[in-house]
Amino acid sequence: MSVGYRAVQWSRPKRLYDACAAGAMLAYLALFVGAGKLLWTGQRSISDEVLLIRATGSGALAMLHVLLVIGPLARLTPRALPLLFNRRHLGVMTFALAALHGTLVVGYYHGFGAVNPIRSLLVNNTRFDSLRAFPFELLGFAALLVMFVMAATSHDFWLKNLGAAAWKRLHMLVYPAYALLVGHVALGAVQSPRAWPAAAALAAGAACVTGFHLAAGWRSRGQDRAAPVADGWLDAGPAAEIPLDRARLVCAPGGGERIAVFRHAGGISAVTNVCAHQGGPLGEGRVIDGCITCPWHGWQYRPEDGCAPPPFKEKIPTHQVRIVAGRVRIDPRPLPPGTATPPARETSGA
Amino acid sequence: MTVADAVILFAALYASIGVGFAMLFVARGVGRVDPVARSAGVGFRLVILPGAAVLWPVLLRLWWRSSRRAPA
Repeated sequence: MSVGYRAVQWSRPKRLYDACAAGAMLAYLALFVGAGKLLWTGQRSISDEVLLIRATGSGALAMLHVLLVIGPLARLTPRALPLLFNRRHLGVMTFALAALHGTLVVGYYHGFGAVNPIRSLLVNNTRFDSLRAFPFELLGFAALLVMFVMAATSHDFWLKNLGAAAWKRLHMLVYPAYALLVGHVALGAVQSPRAWPAAAALAAGAACVTGFHLAAGWRSRGQDRAAPVADGWLDAGPAAEIPLDRARLVCAPGGGERIAVFRHAGGISAVTNVCAHQGGPLGEGRVIDGCITCPWHGWQYRPEDGCAPPPFKEKIPTHQVRIVAGRVRIDPRPLPPGTATPPARETSGA
Repeated sequence: MTVADAVILFAALYASIGVGFAMLFVARGVGRVDPVARSAGVGFRLVILPGAAVLWPVLLRLWWRSSRRAPA
């Protein structure tokens, strides 16, 4: 959260995160180049340029796998939340490495002719009808363009001015970009008889990404069971069963956003489960310093009115709550963002 | 003109307009569109420059709207 814009919103944990990510990336490149020098010798020897092309390409793809797995992993275990905290910086690093790979490819394979390198990339191979000669480089180029748009719009300025929903849709393009890269590597492997290790690693990576998404989806499915309804209000169960400073999630029949029901020092309050920042799951966060704190990036809201503490101005919808015979009842109709609703107390209803 | 030439020409035209617009936007428009950005430094303006060059039609619309809302 910030009241002003800075080039990079760094904090000590973010610097540590970035240093670890950059260190891991450089270590991977060094290991790959070192191992490549030892493995590809004699008749199989390759130039330093090709070695760097392989190192940067495989490194960027590995980082993209990590990026894609972090989201579902954080839904499966809170211990992965620190990885999610600064995912955008990791995304920009991934793009930088992929751009280096693309620059090396265009320079090495298309940069020494009389034709413009980009034109050469586009027209050099037009065998779209052949699996064994498909211009797989174009798939990588298209993915790089998508990644550029995402990296260029990763600052909070874009999130605010495009709107959270449009920004999220734009950044969901990571999945089409990933599909393009799967095609890029798989079709490239088809054309190179010795590229089966890359194809095998990609298959394992794709299985991993798919598996984590399915597991997280399965777990979320369990949370989407609609709560029973009494007099038009949702029954969220006994108040005493909600852990202090934590939430229980309830779903209205017929869908709609989940509602996070928090038990805190002031009683029971209910807000939307969707953070105004990046749609993070507020119900998986906890109450810190009297404020609901999003587990993704730490954005905070007061439970009683859904407003961020001053000087911040973000607001989320709240829900009316009452307690009847020790059980929490929630009005499924959301109140406008920032509407104050007094927390229900265990002695307030009967 | 081949398809490749047309694609390159369109991309070059779009990018040229985008870069020109982006420089104008980060210097003058960003504070009109988002008042929080008025006091932002050069680093922030440089960081949003590539995105402004890509999404210039969106920003042009936002700038147009904000200038119509602004008091005379």
